[in-house]
Formats: sequence, structure tokens, C-alpha cells
Amino acid sequence: MDGPEPDETRDTAPSPADVEDPDAVDADTGEGELERTIGLAGGLAIGIGTMIGAGIFVFPGLAAENAGPAAAASFAIGAVVALLVALPAAELATAMPRSGGGYFFISRGLGTGPGAVVGLGLWLGLVFASAFYLVGLGSYAGQVFLEAGIALPVDPAVPLGVAFGVGLTALSVFGTENTAALQNAIVIVLLVILTLFLSYGSLDALGVFGAESTPERFFPPGGALPVLQTAALVFTSYLGFAQVATVAGDIKEPSRNLPLAMVGSVVVVGVFYVVTIFVATSAFGSARLGEFGETAMVEVAREFVGFPGALAIVIAGLLATFSSANASILSASRAVYAVSRDDLIPEAASRVNLAYGTPHVALGLAGGPIVVLAATGQVELLAEVASFLHLVMYGLLCVALVRLRREQPDWYAPAFRCPAGVPVAAVGGVASFALIAFMQPASIGVGVAIMVAAYGWYRYYATDVELRGDF
Amino acid sequence: MSDTPANDDEAQPGTGEDDSGPEPDGEGPPESGGDARPDPDRPSVLVPLAVLEGESLPTGTPELLANARVVLLGYHVIPDQTATEQAREQFGEKAMSKLDEFAARLAAAGADVETRLVFTHDKETTVDRLSYEYDSLAVLVPNSTDRVESVLVALRGTVGASRNARLVAGLFADAGVAVTLYHALDEGESRGDGEAFLNGVKSDLAERGVDSDRVELVVETGDVPIDDIASRAESHDAVVMGETDPSVTTFVFGMPSEQIAERFLGPVLVVQRERPEE
Repeated sequence: MDGPEPDETRDTAPSPADVEDPDAVDADTGEGELERTIGLAGGLAIGIGTMIGAGIFVFPGLAAENAGPAAAASFAIGAVVALLVALPAAELATAMPRSGGGYFFISRGLGTGPGAVVGLGLWLGLVFASAFYLVGLGSYAGQVFLEAGIALPVDPAVPLGVAFGVGLTALSVFGTENTAALQNAIVIVLLVILTLFLSYGSLDALGVFGAESTPERFFPPGGALPVLQTAALVFTSYLGFAQVATVAGDIKEPSRNLPLAMVGSVVVVGVFYVVTIFVATSAFGSARLGEFGETAMVEVAREFVGFPGALAIVIAGLLATFSSANASILSASRAVYAVSRDDLIPEAASRVNLAYGTPHVALGLAGGPIVVLAATGQVELLAEVASFLHLVMYGLLCVALVRLRREQPDWYAPAFRCPAGVPVAAVGGVASFALIAFMQPASIGVGVAIMVAAYGWYRYYATDVELRGDF
Repeated sequence: MSDTPANDDEAQPGTGEDDSGPEPDGEGPPESGGDARPDPDRPSVLVPLAVLEGESLPTGTPELLANARVVLLGYHVIPDQTATEQAREQFGEKAMSKLDEFAARLAAAGADVETRLVFTHDKETTVDRLSYEYDSLAVLVPNSTDRVESVLVALRGTVGASRNARLVAGLFADAGVAVTLYHALDEGESRGDGEAFLNGVKSDLAERGVDSDRVELVVETGDVPIDDIASRAESHDAVVMGETDPSVTTFVFGMPSEQIAERFLGPVLVVQRERPEE
């Protein structure tokens, strides 16, 4: 069953009928319309839920070890870069509110070649990100044993992460219950716990409850370089806003809700991250934090409020890393669908099974490599490769915006226009590519290899596909 | 008694849902017995069917809705992890052809039919959006029935009663169907109050062309209206009842209309609240 009428979906000239009101439910094509079911709260929950797990519950220890209290600046740099990209991305998303996110914008704006690199890169970027979140989840699950006083012979983080990876993949293939409500509830619980904890921690650090903690030297011995390197490492904690764009086809009133959800979730998590680092580094010296590793926040909470605090943070960490991992697996499967819909990979990858209504092949293509990567347990490498692949997409996304603004094709009518669009996109693009330069050589090597392989696949399989302007 | 509605050509131009005023009450009632009623007076009924889960048009539905403007909504609920587009690509054609088949059966019985096919993550959102878009008087909970000879109309209070009357008269005035108006007394409401209320509805129905001889009134005191309606429904072929506001109770036990449909196993027409003017 290969290639049934492949020409039908590929008429490059956009007829007037294709130019539809982006706010309307997708027009009936004779085969049914598509309901948009996610509101603003749901969009924010996707963005925040995907991001907050990593920045608060996995990175503080690692980041403080590398950059000291200035790790707060690293997170702030990440937030600024993310915002500079989120604004142009929001404009593109309102012009093309389709599922597929960054891949869709770049393949339509810049053509099939860059599209293929980004599309396959997005799939693998999310695979690396999910594996990273799973190791974090495993660390918190291991912490549960530790809190319960059960001594384990080996570090349980990696085996538990792998087990969760298998479980989550199976759940997403066979679970037909809609999980949106659960995701929203998890995000609300998380934000409540974190707000309480961080408020208390900040007041304490400022000396309201007794002695003001002595701040250590803000900048690490290496000066600005470690701060920028840390910014590149922790950028993984800002990948979630693009996930909002991958479900753009499901968002109600996309012209209003997409920009708000994308920019809003970056601002919210950015503030939480910076405050978290401030609180963490005022509780312990950076070196101590580094020793605690992925679960450093548990020790910070224990320092402030004893066992109940530690318990609350363990629970919050489990919820946060779980929701990040889950959201990324689902996004990875959406990314596989997006490239397969455009015939960049065989159509079989996007099959949906009628029994469960889930794309089992795409989920397998996401879940399989995720489990393998989680088994390596290389937290920093996984995080950086994920950031690398996303940053390439962000950079190209900014290029696409500049190009579309200059060429003004007929179909390009965004409802939200990024203020000072071209300069913002130019700075955002340069910043995205620049951040890559501060990564470890190993991560850059893996990232480049993936891009080369993706481009090779495109030359081999899909040179006859023309996507530019196909909207 | 032939009740074939003359297929008049006064089809509405284009949209048809925006300009039909909410209550054409004060205007002269439709000429009683007149067969040639203009389209907009036909009550709009939304019929949601899970087409891809093997749900088909139940027996008796075409007869029940012979005088309606039917919006046949084929829907398919997809889990969150799947893009709606993805499912449409694969199942759209199949679902559409099934839906067209059902539409043809409804039209053959005399109804005006419009079909919509929606791939959604949430059925409620879709049903609400479409019933709003078409200003539907009622949403059908589709169940089969052998015949349509008597209908139980459960009325809660004056609010929305005229919408019930419009629906009942529109569907059944010309069809020789026996109508039982039912009201369960609230706390502090006397039997007299209840009877006066139902008599008001009865005369409203008479004005709209329903023969008063065929209308029976039942007033009851009951603790659990849902049980009473469900057990009374057994001697009828269809139930007409109102929408209930969502609350903790409906969240836990489900909507009363759903509970009744589950026990009664026949078709239930759920009359929709008046939509607020935008």
C-alpha cells in the first residue's frame, strides 16, 4: 500500500480556498473537520509542564557546580534567548497554526532541505530531551527509596529511568483516556508547591528568619565563560514553548492563545528558575550543591523545613519530571507524524490503529531510542544534544521569519506580529547559534552527526518533495 | 393521514442559523393543519453519532425526526497523543460515506438533513459548538425504538418550557403522537401549582397545533425525579427533557439525561437552554 495519490496533497499553488480564517475550526475538506480543544490554560500547562521539570528539579546542582551563584545569570540568559525566539515563533505559529511546530514553519518558509534537517532533528532532539527527563525522573524515584531508608546496592536512577521510559511509551500507545486534565492538575500542584517553597526560601535567604546567609562570590573563578557554558547546558529547560507550537492545530483561537501561551510559559518558568538558583545557592555553597547532583533541591528543602519539605520536593520532582518526559514523548511522536505526512519518511510511520486511536508506529519510533539513550545515563550529554538540535531549529526559525517578512507571500498573514520582528529575529537567530558554540565538543559532535545524517536521508529519500510555500 | 411535508423551496439563503429569532412566539402561530410549513419553523435537532465506533442510526430515528431539521454530527474522539489531522487522513473517507448513508435514510423519512463530520479530542466541546452554531432546540441521545406513538415530556419549570413546546409541536403535531406532560413537584409546590403549569404548556401546545385530546397531564411528588422519569418512560416510545446545569452531582453521576437514556434504552431528546445573545 505505497503512495496512494501522492499528488493530491501537493499542489504548490495556494488556491484562494486554502486561505482560511486561522481562527475557524479547520474547514471541512469533504472528509471532516478538526475540533480545536485546547484553551489558553491548556496551552500554558503544556509549555510550563514540559519545561519546569528540568530547570528546577534536575539542573540546580549541576549548574551551581559549574557557575556558582552566577548560574542564576545563566538561566536568565537562557530565558532571554528563549523569549527572542518565542516571539518570532509565535508570529509564525499564528500564520501557520498547524501541528508540527518549528518543522512546519521552516519547511514551508525555507524549503524541504532545511525542513528535513529540522524535522528529523526535532524528533531526535525530543528523544534526547525525553531521555534526559527520564534520568531525572529516575533520580527522584531513587530518592524515594533513600527517604524511606531502603539502601540499594546500585544507583537506581538509570534503571528506574529506563523502566519509566518503557512504561510511559506503553501508556501512550494503549492509554486512550485523555490526559489533558491530568496535565493541567499536575502543573497547578507544582506551581503551588514551588511558590510556597520559593517564597519561604527567598525570605529566609534575605534574612527575614534570622541571620542573612553570606553570599559567596557571585561570579565563578573562570569569569563569564562558565556562565555562558552553563547557559548552553541549561537551555534544555526552555525547550517547552516550542511544544506548544507542535499542537498548534489543537489550540482554540490560535491567533490569541498561541502567542500568549508560548511567551507566557517562558516568562513564568524563567522567573521560577532564577529564583530557584538564588534560593539554592544561598542555602548551600555551590560545591556542596554540585555534590548533591540531580536531586540537590531535595537537600535545599530539607535545610529549610526539614523532612516535610524534602518530601514535598521529592513529590514535586516526580510529578515535574514525569510530566516533562511524557509531554516530550508525545511531542516526538507528533514530530514523526509531521515529517511522515509530508512524505519525508515512509507513510507507515504515521499509521493510527483503530482499536486505540493512537499512532503506535510513531510512538515506537520515539519510545525505542528514548529508552536506549536513557540507559546511557549521560545527563549532561543528553541535555546538550537536545539543546543543540532545538537551537538549530530556533536559529532557522528566525531565518524563516526574516525571509517571510521580506518576501511577503500571499498565504503569509500572521494574526500576531512580533514587535520589531526582523531585528528580534536577527538577534534571536544569532544568539541561538552562538549558544551552541559554548557546548562541550562531544555534544556538538553528536549534534552535527545527526544533522548530517538527516540531510543525507533527505538527499537519498525525499529530493522530489517540494514543501516551500506549500500551505 | 399522510404527513409528508411538502418539500417547499423556501430554502434559507446561506447561513440560516443566525437570523431566526429566538422566540417567534408573538407572531401568529403556524396555521394549524397547514402542511406547507416554511423550513425555519422546523425544530433543529442535533444527532451526534460515534460513526467510527460502529454506532449507527438506531431503528426508529428517521420516523422520530421526520419533521425536524436534523444536523447529523458524525464524530470521532481521538486520544490526546494523536493529531486530529492524522485520524482524518486515515478514516475521513470511510466515516463520511457511512454518514452519507445515514443522512439518506433520514431524508427519505422526510427530514431536512445537514451532515457534519468532526474529529475531536473532546465530544462535549464539539456537541456544544455545533448545537450553538445551528441554534439547535434539542440534542438527541440516539437509542432505538420500534414505533413513535407516545412521548413523555418531563418539564421542570416555566424556564425553557416554551422551547420544549416548540420542539414537541414541531416534531409531533402532525404525526398523531400521544403526548404526556410530566412534572415532579418541587418542595413547597402544591399539586394545584403543578397542574396550572402543565395546563399552560398544554394550551401553548394547542396553539402550536397539537390536538389537546392527545395531551395527558401527570403531576407527581417524588423524591428522585430521575427514577420516576425512567420508570414512567418504560410505557412510552421517546422522552423529551431539559438540559441540566453541570454541578458536582452531574460530574459524579453523569447528566440526568444520560442516566435516563441508559435505563430507558429509548431515544431521549435533550432540550437545550436558550443561548445568550452575544
